[in-house]
Amino acid sequence: MLEKEIQGFIEKLRTRREFLKISGKGITTMAVTASVLNLLGCGKSGEGSDTPATVTVTPKGILIAQRNRCVGCQKCEMVCSIKNNGKASSYISRIKVARNYNYGLTMAADYATGEGDYGNFLMTQDACRQCKDPQCMAQCPAKAIAYSETTGTWTVDTEKCIGCRTCEHACPWNMPTVDPETEKSGKCILCGTCAEHCPTGALQMMPWKEVTVRLEKKGYKLS
Amino acid sequence: MAKITGWTGKLLRVNLSTGSISTQDSMKYKDFIGGSGFGHKILFDEVPAGTKALDEANKLIIAVGPFTGTGVPSSGRTNIVSLSPTNPYHAATDSHMGGNFGPWMKFAGYDAIVIEGASKSPVWLRIEDDKVTIEDASGLWGKGTRDTSAEIAKIMGKEACVASIGQAGENLINLSSIVNSNSHSAGGHGAVLGSKKLKAIGIKGTKAVPIADGKAEDWLKLNDYFMKEIVGANNQHVVPSTPQPWAEYSDPGSRWTGQKDLFWGAAEPPVETGECPPGNTNWVGLRTQKGFFDLGPVAEERTIRMDGCHSCPIRCHSDMLVPELEKYGLSGYATSTCINYSSPLSIMIKGTADGDSKGMDAFITKCLGSRLADDYGIWSNYAQLGRDFKYVYEHGILKEKLPKEEYDSIPWDLLEKGDPAFLLEFYKRIALKQGEFYHVADGPYWLDKAWNLGKDYWAYKGNNIWSKMAFPKHHSNEAGSHVGTLIQIFKNRDANSHTHMNFIGAGLPIEVLKEVAGEVWGSPDALDKPNDYTPMNIYKAKFAKWSMDRNYLHDSITVCNYTWPMTVSPSKSRNYRGDTAIEAKFFSLATGIETTEAELDLAGERITTLARCETIKRMGTVNLRKEHDVIPDWVFDADPDKKAYTPGTVKLDRKDMETAITMLYKEYGWDEKTGAPTRATLERLGMKDVADQLESLKLLP
Ligand code: SF4
Ligand code: SF4
Ligand code: SF4
Repeated sequence: MLEKEIQGFIEKLRTRREFLKISGKGITTMAVTASVLNLLGCGKSGEGSDTPATVTVTPKGILIAQRNRCVGCQKCEMVCSIKNNGKASSYISRIKVARNYNYGLTMAADYATGEGDYGNFLMTQDACRQCKDPQCMAQCPAKAIAYSETTGTWTVDTEKCIGCRTCEHACPWNMPTVDPETEKSGKCILCGTCAEHCPTGALQMMPWKEVTVRLEKKGYKLS
Repeated sequence: MAKITGWTGKLLRVNLSTGSISTQDSMKYKDFIGGSGFGHKILFDEVPAGTKALDEANKLIIAVGPFTGTGVPSSGRTNIVSLSPTNPYHAATDSHMGGNFGPWMKFAGYDAIVIEGASKSPVWLRIEDDKVTIEDASGLWGKGTRDTSAEIAKIMGKEACVASIGQAGENLINLSSIVNSNSHSAGGHGAVLGSKKLKAIGIKGTKAVPIADGKAEDWLKLNDYFMKEIVGANNQHVVPSTPQPWAEYSDPGSRWTGQKDLFWGAAEPPVETGECPPGNTNWVGLRTQKGFFDLGPVAEERTIRMDGCHSCPIRCHSDMLVPELEKYGLSGYATSTCINYSSPLSIMIKGTADGDSKGMDAFITKCLGSRLADDYGIWSNYAQLGRDFKYVYEHGILKEKLPKEEYDSIPWDLLEKGDPAFLLEFYKRIALKQGEFYHVADGPYWLDKAWNLGKDYWAYKGNNIWSKMAFPKHHSNEAGSHVGTLIQIFKNRDANSHTHMNFIGAGLPIEVLKEVAGEVWGSPDALDKPNDYTPMNIYKAKFAKWSMDRNYLHDSITVCNYTWPMTVSPSKSRNYRGDTAIEAKFFSLATGIETTEAELDLAGERITTLARCETIKRMGTVNLRKEHDVIPDWVFDADPDKKAYTPGTVKLDRKDMETAITMLYKEYGWDEKTGAPTRATLERLGMKDVADQLESLKLLP
């Protein structure tokens, strides 16, 4: 089981990285298991916990988001908005923790046993999944969202954006956010600032070189 | 005028008597920085002498500073100023809460919320950016803080942050708190909101807090420098608690408990804290395994994660998995920080069933009690509540004062057996103000008034009450001799200053600390060796003043004084030197107003002095030296066989302490005879109007 999971994960890494290089498409965030986390050298191997983390493949490496390490400090939101918008704002931050802080993604009927700080304490760091067929892009009437070669992400062109908020609603996870002050949309461009400043390594940008080395340490090869 | 950055430039005023809601330019108060400074200025200017804490005329000022909501490390704390019902003179106190409330205020566009007047029926305040409404709270009245928050979240959206009072505040219990974000409580002002019939404030916003133009990269760099080179663990302890290969020093008392093979054991999968040497931002939040520190080794496998305030990398709260709580009708989760975890155990005065103060029973007791206290909104008065309860129980006073029927209805057997279920009764009877038992939560002064406890109560051994101001000591003469002692005498509640304590307890060898003391306060003599004191000197006065001023500064800009200032660091490459100018650096980047460390310290001095004037106004006397700044006898009479200033005792000498007080007054430019700020000093600090008001009240020295 573990072996199969690991092989499957490596295969996905490989193909998605290839896709990125060739077509710039199909990057998609994937949920991973504890054994995969262990493979990447993140934490001790877990017994049976299902999908505690997500991995996003980027041109520079992989972005790993681990829920079990997230302490809900929201520092990521502050540095994200300062880096990308020159001002601090939870609302326009491209990574979203605050809105899930109290009660998780959806408020449970019994909040005291649901997710979030009022419940089981589980935090959710939500960011753009970099979808294979992004609805934000598909539905944008101004064609303001397009693939960017430099960042390897679906990126909003603020020159073209008309602030209509279609992307906010089109995205199944409501990731793009229109800044009410500038009326321009913004979404994650995988700049890595959040990961750099996360005090517990709950967000981690792992360069391809390191991914390769870590896999080799455990006897696997990426390419 | 240049664009305002750091601050929002706006404060919100809500008058519950008239229902009027208005905004005002907050920059009128800019010299007072924010938070505590704004609070004391507004209270001093607007609340007449003679007002009592629960009067309609009292105001409650919730305020933050230019750092809040910008991501400055540990800037998630909110400051509240109002008259205090616990204080004998109803003098003003600051109460503080962490969580998300402060940043949410800024994101909604406000530096402060001023609550005025009183409603006739229960209400809550709904704030969504510019839209502010007073809502009916009759359906919320009688609920705990958590259900209140959840009900409001259902109306406003789950992202809303809610600060509310529990039943204790509603019932005007003196020791009551205001709670937000599940476990973050501000002690002492719950009843003020209760008297105004304001159950809760729900807040959310879509706005940004701007920092100075073009300073984003500098801002991120300063954050990076702070995280890699300067910050340590909780309380700015800068050495690990266990020896580690990278570390030159270690100290078993350090809150830097992170180490190999120590886990957040209930995380899925478990997270190893590991060694977290300086130089890596992503390890800072793993250094303090606070569950392990606060609740003992049994907590390791119960630890889900660390928790804490907005933008804080330290995380002093710990989140616990406690299925045992389900049998008391609660969920199986608990979260809190030091005193709120420890105070329930201090209520179990006969100990726990297994007799182990660090065992599983103690763990469950602490978790259960902290849940109940935060939900009812009860404040422990820095654990004095437990000591007061112990006194009245053990001296038979409860038996004498409570009606027989009430006394007999209390399950004393649970207490005697060490069964934590006793806490259910204990907190409920206080919060619901059932019978007469609630007086144990009056606070020492009013408890004595109610039950006539007399001299014995004030003098009993083990009582920590500092003076007739009736608050407990909090890092006093045992922490930095004269320095800790001087810091105790100022406030109207426990001296909640960690400026001195964090430095003294940093974990570095005394020789290193003394060197640093020399650099910051002018001489290594500013710091005595623990348990080996020397007579007063001027450098100790400077150290004490700096501690007070930074404390008020931190409560005003606002950062957590439980963590700041950065007097030392964990970096050997820096020779363990911290950076006391970081506040000024962040201030300059946030506000765009180039500000030096000295200028910011002057602002701290201004706020300390203003708070002093506030106390003079409430007490109606100029002679604080005699009436307020009193030191309890036990500071001088402890260890009768030992002489002060000999090794092995923390006792001080009376006459020498008088010299110390005089020296401190001199440092501030206050009148030496009375300890009151003079007109010249007030004018030097730009507070002519304060001097004028005091003069009109005949309260200038
Ligand atoms: S900075 Fe890290 S720990 Fe803090 S909220 Fe973001 S992901 Fe969680
Ligand atoms: S914004 Fe939403 S729809 Fe667009 S790529 Fe990201 S996750 Fe997909
Ligand atoms: S140290 Fe604790 S109280 Fe202070 S800001 Fe951090 S989490 Fe909050």
